[in-house]
Amino acid sequence: MAVLVKKVELSLLDRSYVWPIAKGMVITLRHFLKQITTPTNKRFTIQYPDMKKPMPAGYRGLHELKRFEDGAIKCVACFMCQEACPARCISIEAEEFSELNFTQGFEEKRPSVFKIDMLRCIYCGMCEEACPKDAIWLRGEYELAAYDRLSLNYGKWDLMNTYAGLDGKLQVGPAQESPATASRPVSA
Amino acid sequence: METLAHLTGMSVVTIWTLLKVLLVFGFIMAVAPPYTWVERRGSAMMQDRIGPNRALLFGKWQILGLGHALADGIKFFFKEDIVPPHATKRLFWLAPLLAFVPALMGFAIIPFGRSFVYQGSMYHLSLLDPGNGMGMLYPLAIGAVAVYGILVAAWSSNNKWSILGGMRSSAQMVSYEIGLSLAVIAVFMKVGGYDPADIIKDQMAVGWFVWRQPLGFLVFFTCMFAESNRLPFDFAEGEAEIVAGFHTEFGSMKFGLLGLAEYAHMITASGLITTLYFGGWSVPFMPDAPVLLTILAFMVKLLFFMWVFVWVRWTLPRFRYDQLMFLGWKVMLPLSMANLIFNAWLMSRGG
Repeated sequence: MAVLVKKVELSLLDRSYVWPIAKGMVITLRHFLKQITTPTNKRFTIQYPDMKKPMPAGYRGLHELKRFEDGAIKCVACFMCQEACPARCISIEAEEFSELNFTQGFEEKRPSVFKIDMLRCIYCGMCEEACPKDAIWLRGEYELAAYDRLSLNYGKWDLMNTYAGLDGKLQVGPAQESPATASRPVSA
Repeated sequence: METLAHLTGMSVVTIWTLLKVLLVFGFIMAVAPPYTWVERRGSAMMQDRIGPNRALLFGKWQILGLGHALADGIKFFFKEDIVPPHATKRLFWLAPLLAFVPALMGFAIIPFGRSFVYQGSMYHLSLLDPGNGMGMLYPLAIGAVAVYGILVAAWSSNNKWSILGGMRSSAQMVSYEIGLSLAVIAVFMKVGGYDPADIIKDQMAVGWFVWRQPLGFLVFFTCMFAESNRLPFDFAEGEAEIVAGFHTEFGSMKFGLLGLAEYAHMITASGLITTLYFGGWSVPFMPDAPVLLTILAFMVKLLFFMWVFVWVRWTLPRFRYDQLMFLGWKVMLPLSMANLIFNAWLMSRGG
């Protein structure tokens, strides 16, 4: 069906060019004055590396392996997340440990290796859903880029420490286990 | 001045002329890069953007992105200077100069301040002293030469886009020149001469020509946009249709020079508008303003019109080519004719 184009009848004033142009110029000038008097942090543009938008509460970014108050890992290496993961990006190796104390809830098992391949991860949050101990969270960090594939293979201490700095908590743990991750700066 | 003349063995007149040349051309050259900055930042502000602000001077000072103008210049100088194999080499080299020099030369006639007497001799604040016989005909003639810059650039590139851009922009410039000249003739008629000094004096005595000939001003103003190839009349470029038009094949400093020519042209055009219709260096309500104040007044007017060029560019879209020709031949030309005849009629009645 053909579209009927309604011909707009312009008034003499509108056809004179001068008046519409003056109107348009007032509009641009208004925008100009408004934008130039707005302080940078109130403008629409978020100047990315300098300014960052706070991510919404439910945002699923980089994972965090949660800790107890004393810094011990909450994860009990039950492999639920690994099973739940549709992208199969989590690989866990469990280990036994015997230093029982109260805060750790008498757990006897913990991950010795907890790796997430960030290149495979689809940030679906299934691991978070599956976790019986509430030990893995997906949080707001989204600047996941690196120069090589290995750097994006996040190990246990990466996952435990990345948010510790942001949350103002102590970063505990040995040097990074995978060699490539050592060069990755921990964002503050 | 006298001691300088004595030291260098040149006459005072020569030194004064040299000084003026340095001042005027230096001013245009120095203002053009910040002008690009104003254009970019200003357009950004009009569109609620931020604009270029990432270039840091010495990696430290951001100064609102002014470093970008400098960085652009450095980039232009250090880029590889490519002459495409199919281009007409000599003309290709000549074209940026042909575009740049007329744009710069037009400013020579424009008085940027009051003439003053110092130690018994007269000093004029314009490159070409008043009474040189060319008057305001000179910038019009030079403006016509500016067509060659664009046309030669387009022709020598040996590129279809360039040719299209160059041809249609030269057609545009030629057709708008007629309306422009007729509008200016009405001013000449009223003044009884075409010397800028006379024109300014007349405007100081009777009133600015914007008020006396608003129609003529409108035509002149519009035609100036067409003459300097600015939006809404930038048919030489037209990036949506013909890549970049006449400077498609140009790179490095040749491209920079073509860009600089456009800005120099705009500065000259603003100077012409100021002189012809806004009283030049005259300060309103102050017939005997001091020299420095007149220079300041001229600068304020000049900078305002330079800003208007930017302002209009980011307000209006480009005309279609047939609309442009319609506007040029069927609107601007009759309007300037009417203006001319109306003013002639008024003068015949002793007005």
